[in-house]
Amino acid sequence: MNLLTKFAPLAELRAALAGHGKVPSIATPMDAVHSATEATIDGRRVLLAGTNNYLGLTFDADCRAAAIKAVETLGTGTTGSRMASGNYAGHRALEREFADAFGWPACIVFSTGYQANLGAISALAGQGDYLLVDADGHASIHDACKLSAASTIRFRHNDPENLARRLERLGEDAKRTLVVVESLYSVLGDRAPLVEFAGVCERFGAMLIVDEAHSFGMFGPKGLGICAELGLLDRVDFVLGTFSKSLGGVGGFCVSRHADFELLRMASRPYLFTASPPPPVVAATHAALKRLLNGDDLRARLWGHIRRFYAAVNQLGYRVGTTDPGPVTALVFEEREAAIALWQGLLDAGIYTNLMVPPSTPAGLNIVRISLSAAHSEADISRMIDALGKLAGQLQPAA
Amino acid sequence: MPETVDQVERVVREALKVACPDIGIVDGSTHLASELGLDSAQVMDMIMEIEDHLDISIPVATIAEARTLDQLCDSVRRVVAGRT
Repeated sequence: MNLLTKFAPLAELRAALAGHGKVPSIATPMDAVHSATEATIDGRRVLLAGTNNYLGLTFDADCRAAAIKAVETLGTGTTGSRMASGNYAGHRALEREFADAFGWPACIVFSTGYQANLGAISALAGQGDYLLVDADGHASIHDACKLSAASTIRFRHNDPENLARRLERLGEDAKRTLVVVESLYSVLGDRAPLVEFAGVCERFGAMLIVDEAHSFGMFGPKGLGICAELGLLDRVDFVLGTFSKSLGGVGGFCVSRHADFELLRMASRPYLFTASPPPPVVAATHAALKRLLNGDDLRARLWGHIRRFYAAVNQLGYRVGTTDPGPVTALVFEEREAAIALWQGLLDAGIYTNLMVPPSTPAGLNIVRISLSAAHSEADISRMIDALGKLAGQLQPAA
Repeated sequence: MPETVDQVERVVREALKVACPDIGIVDGSTHLASELGLDSAQVMDMIMEIEDHLDISIPVATIAEARTLDQLCDSVRRVVAGRT
């Protein structure tokens, strides 16, 4: 028995997902990436339908030009924290652009989306405070809770009544509580009842933070997310987001309607003790954000794809993870082998998707996750639907 | 409060049955992960089931060290005792 012994059960899972001589379904090697929707895997060109590149901005001409210019003028990295030598004009301008877009006074940019959750949540709730988190929250939320000195209590997924019971039990301490939810859950693609959650938080005096990692860019006016779509920006306290999905970069942000949120720069360890995002990433993200705020064309195109694809998949008889159409469509299976077979069948047809299996999935489900992009063409969507149609007869989706 | 102690064990065992419907007879020293094969998500489902039945909130850190059924019962008893 040594430190590595505990990982032995993972060997079975890795073997099951290894591809049996074909391409592995986890950590699938990408030999080359050609565009927002095309890559080479195992020597073959494939259509990418398993990314988070919802608006297809990774290859946007303006974003690439901004990144190249930043590298040439500012270098490849900052080599310092924002509190030391890494506080560039680009970082501050990007934060101002996010805050202005939301009409809020405060924004902090973090080096990754994961760190945005870690940095905001762990600093906001400290010793003597409470974190009430949705049980199906992303790993970064649960890790943030571990980093925080606050007491963490989970509530049932998307269940405002269950949250209310827990806040009620806290009594006066409910006012020292941060409630953490996501607006759109990335595995099944289901939406949170945010209006109800906001109401519960107001009733008990708790603060509400909403992670819009998978909804920012696609929902609401200017793509600001589901909180904005629902008119909740005066009822939600903090919104978290990432650059690595709709914005096509890497990094994260947290905006707040509370000006004092800016003080977290002095208290948030994941903000303080890491290098700031490199200049090309900041420049490309800024260009992507401007593209997002100044036009609805990419969103309109993506939603056209979503409506068409969602209707087709339902018609083919697949079990879909949610009744809310969105950029993520989760095809759900009780048996792991059935999900693997569909994932492999799609890859054989030249379409890359994501395979997700327990314990990283809710309710022990096995999932083939398909994500759409504004960069997909109508022909790409047809190709996905045709492939799923051919495979539907060979597979038995969960009842 | 012996009644509460018995109630805790009964509720924990019921929650275990919800998480593992095919489970047989389980000893108090049974290891939840290595012997019953429960993953972290299943354990958290169990905890929420227990919370609803006993009308308590169990901080995640309180049960983080519980490896066996007996240890989990002890952790829950501490929360119940703290409430009363």
